[in-house]
Amino acid sequence: MTNKSMAHREKLLVALAGVFALSLAAAPEANAMHIMEGYLPGGFCIAWGVLCLPFVLAGFFSIRRTVQENRKALILLAMSGAFIFVISSLKIPSVTGSCSHMTGTGLGAILFGPSCVSILGVIVLLFQAILLAHGGLTTLGANTFSMAIAGPFLAWGLYALLSRLRVNRRVSIFLAAALGDLFTYCVTSLQLALAYPSQQGGVAASALKFLGVFAPTQVPLAVIEGILTVVIVIALESYAQPELKLIGYYREVK
Amino acid sequence: MLEIDKLCYTSKLRYVNAGEKCFFSLASVILCIVSRSVPAALLLLIASTYLTVRRGGISVKRWLRYMTLPLTFLLLGTGAILVNISRTPLDAFALPVGSLYLTGSRAGVLQAAQLILTALSSVSALFFLSFNTPMTDILGVLKACRLPRLLIELMMLTYRFIFLLLENASAMLLSQDARLGNRDLRTAFRSRGMLASMLFIRAMRQAGSLYDAMEARCYDGQIRVLEEQRPPRGREILSIAVFEAVLLLLALLPFAAGAAGAGAWL
Repeated sequence: MTNKSMAHREKLLVALAGVFALSLAAAPEANAMHIMEGYLPGGFCIAWGVLCLPFVLAGFFSIRRTVQENRKALILLAMSGAFIFVISSLKIPSVTGSCSHMTGTGLGAILFGPSCVSILGVIVLLFQAILLAHGGLTTLGANTFSMAIAGPFLAWGLYALLSRLRVNRRVSIFLAAALGDLFTYCVTSLQLALAYPSQQGGVAASALKFLGVFAPTQVPLAVIEGILTVVIVIALESYAQPELKLIGYYREVK
Repeated sequence: MLEIDKLCYTSKLRYVNAGEKCFFSLASVILCIVSRSVPAALLLLIASTYLTVRRGGISVKRWLRYMTLPLTFLLLGTGAILVNISRTPLDAFALPVGSLYLTGSRAGVLQAAQLILTALSSVSALFFLSFNTPMTDILGVLKACRLPRLLIELMMLTYRFIFLLLENASAMLLSQDARLGNRDLRTAFRSRGMLASMLFIRAMRQAGSLYDAMEARCYDGQIRVLEEQRPPRGREILSIAVFEAVLLLLALLPFAAGAAGAGAWL
């Protein structure tokens, strides 16, 4: 290989890296990974929607039971949904200066439990699509599955398991929130890969590609989300004990 | 506080029947996604831009700013679809890196272009809906679709509470900024934790007092609001039907051309 061709290749690589970096810098927002409107083929939109249905229905029935017992629960649930929406719509402090948002997945799961979050999640995602232009209507099913079902279930399960094992509370909250967030991002990558398998290497190669391109924004976000969730839960436990009792938070832990 | 919510109350198309608007954007998006037809996507993009900017009265600048919002996702996602990592170069382009190639095929480039257009036109149709239709009207449409009453009520209350909490949160953010609460990363994290916990406490207290107030006014588990009736107009229904028909025609065009053996339509 001659020196000249090497130089050429290096230039190309530098140019490519430059374009990539610019595309990140020029990006107005680095959001949580909502799949945008119109990005999934019709069949996949329906399939993910159907897959969400049992979880959402279970959540709906459990909510209906609670509301029949206690009418005040409806107001509390609506407040909780609004709380998740507002927390996820606020820009979070970030290292790189680009603005990004929390997903609130882990926090919601730890505070309200996974079955409740699945139905609140659908509502929050619908509002995010219409009021904040994050995500979309046809991709609602896929986004619900990754952000309101897969992520929260993992976060909640991990949190329950680690609390049972008597791991340090801060560590277990951090792990639950950060890994829940990372899991959401993995599921979304998989959803995209299933819809758009690579021409060479199929779904697995495609999944790796999606994981790779979204990693620079999503991995730091997961760490930040983990830290923020710890700070928020600790602050809640020191200031908001009566309110936490109201939503049944302590019943689940102890 | 939420810009889109403000926009749709000032839109000139606000008083057009909400069912029509919902049907227009959903039907068009579904047609575009299922067909992946380039001409249909272009038509939808032009139509929703025209409707929102000219008829709805949203400024072009704002429209363009919103249309660039999903750009990060679009660029990264489509880049990942376009570029393959492989030992053998494909036919459209190939960039050698070590012993491997960053490469793509002509079919891949075509698919990516189709995808970008479809996604952009679908987003424009979604923006048409959300820039011109207040949330309460959309909830009315959902109610007419026979969604469970409990769900509608939950959504309505959530929508109302979002603004309550946003107002609280923005006041807290402002006072934290004024007291150097976001001076560096460490303080920023601490302030955010305090903000979230205070917000939670206020949310739950407000929920309590709201419930008491509603109970005092004979709340029995149902909130009944008087709905304004805005019947659909014949001319609007006709133009939507014509538009969807044209879109369907454009969507079917490649299949027809393929069946006639005329070759692939772009």
